[in-house]
Amino acid sequence: MPHRQNNKRYLLWLALGTATMAVVMAVMLALQVTQNEAIRKGSQMRMDSLTAMAFQFEREFLRFRQALDVAVRTPDQSDLDDLVLRYDIFVSRLNLLKDNPSTDALLKRPELVKALPLLNQLIERTDIELAKTPLDLAKLGDVLKEFNTIGPEVQALSLAADSLVTRLVEQQQNDLLSKNEHIIWLTLAQLVLLLAAAGALVIRQRRQEEQRRAVEKLTQDLRDAKFEAESANRGKSLFLANMSHELRTPFNGILGMLSLLEESPLNAQQIDHIQTVRRSANHLMELLTDILDVSALESGKLALKQGPVSPHGLLLKVEALMKPLSADKKLSFTVDVQSALPQWVHADGTRIKQILFNLINNAIKFTTQGNVTLTVRNSQDTGGFARLEFEVSDTGIGISPEGITHLFQRFYQVDSGIDRKFGGTGLGLVISRSLATMMGGGIVVQSTVGVGSVFTLTLPLAACAAPADAPSDGVQQVQVNAALSSTASVMPAPAATDRTQAPVAPPAPRVLVVEDHPVNSEFIGVLLSRLGCESVFCEDGQQALDSVREQMFDLILMDINMPVMDGLTATRAIRALPSAIARVPIIVLTADIVNEARDQALAAGATDFLTKPVQIAQFRATMKNYLKNLAAS
Amino acid sequence: MNSLSRRLLLSSLAALTLGGALPALALPPATGKVILTLTGKIDEKNAGDKAVFDLAMLEKLPQQTFTTKTPWDKQPVKFTGPLLRDVLAAAKASGTTLKANALNDYKTSIPLADAMRFDMVLAHKMNDRAIPVRTKGPLFIIYPFDTKAELRSAVYYERSAWQLKSIDVE
Repeated sequence: MPHRQNNKRYLLWLALGTATMAVVMAVMLALQVTQNEAIRKGSQMRMDSLTAMAFQFEREFLRFRQALDVAVRTPDQSDLDDLVLRYDIFVSRLNLLKDNPSTDALLKRPELVKALPLLNQLIERTDIELAKTPLDLAKLGDVLKEFNTIGPEVQALSLAADSLVTRLVEQQQNDLLSKNEHIIWLTLAQLVLLLAAAGALVIRQRRQEEQRRAVEKLTQDLRDAKFEAESANRGKSLFLANMSHELRTPFNGILGMLSLLEESPLNAQQIDHIQTVRRSANHLMELLTDILDVSALESGKLALKQGPVSPHGLLLKVEALMKPLSADKKLSFTVDVQSALPQWVHADGTRIKQILFNLINNAIKFTTQGNVTLTVRNSQDTGGFARLEFEVSDTGIGISPEGITHLFQRFYQVDSGIDRKFGGTGLGLVISRSLATMMGGGIVVQSTVGVGSVFTLTLPLAACAAPADAPSDGVQQVQVNAALSSTASVMPAPAATDRTQAPVAPPAPRVLVVEDHPVNSEFIGVLLSRLGCESVFCEDGQQALDSVREQMFDLILMDINMPVMDGLTATRAIRALPSAIARVPIIVLTADIVNEARDQALAAGATDFLTKPVQIAQFRATMKNYLKNLAAS
Repeated sequence: MNSLSRRLLLSSLAALTLGGALPALALPPATGKVILTLTGKIDEKNAGDKAVFDLAMLEKLPQQTFTTKTPWDKQPVKFTGPLLRDVLAAAKASGTTLKANALNDYKTSIPLADAMRFDMVLAHKMNDRAIPVRTKGPLFIIYPFDTKAELRSAVYYERSAWQLKSIDVE
């Protein structure tokens, strides 16, 4: 504010200064013009010099008086014509004095005021005498006497003209001098103003420079602050990622033991307790997974795994998973496909499912009665490009407009009371929206409190050719298949034939469990024994390497993060061994759900991977994939 | 082109024009009172080596009239008389300079080229009345001051000789 006022004041001064300068210049101009006029007048004055005119008049006066004198004294020697001519010239000189634009000032002089009537009288008399023929010499003599008498007045007239001119010139000079003086003062004023203006300009320039520097410094500070904030945020994300990863390992054990506990004989109260623990554990697991997702998204580590995905297959899978959830709450869940969908699209099916699960889960969570509908439309189907709209609508509690504005903020839950009632991490929508954005789409929300909400996921998708062996789902399935086909070749052939030799009890498959965490290895051991496997345990990669050099195993379960030698190094070392053990399937156990970790594992030579915490069903399925002769537990 | 050579060119041009304009009509002798005498480089003479003019002879030449302001009169004055160049032509004047002499012994020098460039009048009438010696008569060399700004300067005011008596052509 003060800055703007300053600016205003500056402009006011500028205007004032300019106006003053203009006035000064105008005055100077006027002075110069009048000076010019004065000079012009002066030159005219010189042209018709009063002194010259007075002098000529006096001269002609004297010449005529001389001629008259001659005519009176020696009439016979005198020429009358010449006398008259002299007389006429004398009179013309007087007339010039009388009717001349430049003699006005002279006519006002007392000398002239006194002499003029006398001269006029004298001329009247002379006219009469000169007109007589013949001339009356006596009378002419009288005229001559009068000419002699008036002599001093005529001379005074000359002197008067001289003094008048001197005075006029002096006056003119003074006039010019005073005007010059004015001009000098005005020029001086102008100079002062100019210097003041220049000074003001310098001050302003300096002030602006200061301001510019201040703004620059502020910008730099802000930039630094932003950089610091960003790096702090990155640090936090990294910390979160590491922490949740570290948390998963002990958590693995808890969940495993919980599963075992559930399958042991229990009384009703114990079952209830275990179920409560299981719910809390599941919630904690969700939190960890979500936090890991968010930090992966924020640190840019999450990459989409795109491949051919069948939209219909994907929807079937979603329906199969979501139906039981809605049924639990006595809600109806329907999938309504309204347009023709492309057979295959190029997409990351896992991530699309993740988004849909999240949206539908939320819908089910916040709806107490009525229905949840997933409506699918293809709003643009041209040139191999589809624009799929997955609209999840519910008849739930709805969200207020104020709530919608915060909906996609991290850890935001519309009502903190809802947290207790419905659970959830508050990260689901953030992750979903980030994923949708990564895929080039978006999520929009429409909601009315008490009526329900509509979440619409829009994804631009390119149609593509069906994969060689078309399963019902996308990428993950394809990867698994690839992994299967690659293991098929390394599977020991006798295992296949073993089965046919039915009566003899087949040898139990031998599994090497490489895991440093005792709870986890115990849990895995229990699972393996149920599957009828024989387990050998070791705590790090080095021990594992030592073991495989001495014994043969049908499968190796390999944790990644271990002391002495990590799982990836060990896997690479085993694959490099010259014996048959190098071709045994190695299943990597990883709490890292980030793409990188899986890629690294596969690159190191792992056959497949299992996510920690180990899920019993998944574990069994994987084992069945790679081992024959398993107990049918 | 310097001023001398230009003057020479102009004067010879003037001589040519003058000769062409008025064929060799012999200048008749003056019968009335002589009011103008031309001497010097003239080819037409009617009184010894002079060309003299009375009022009637001047009035016989084509008359020019204009009104102009002068520094010597408060009001604009109407001047009437023959063009100076016609008078010069009548006497077949050649040369570069006119030395004008007035009754009051005023002398002034007029480049002959002026007579060609400007419609200078040898006025014998001011405001339609003959000019007595008592004012500025009988003849008054006058420039048309009001037609050109350059004429309104001391140079031409000085060349305007009144009470003109004679012109010596050099």
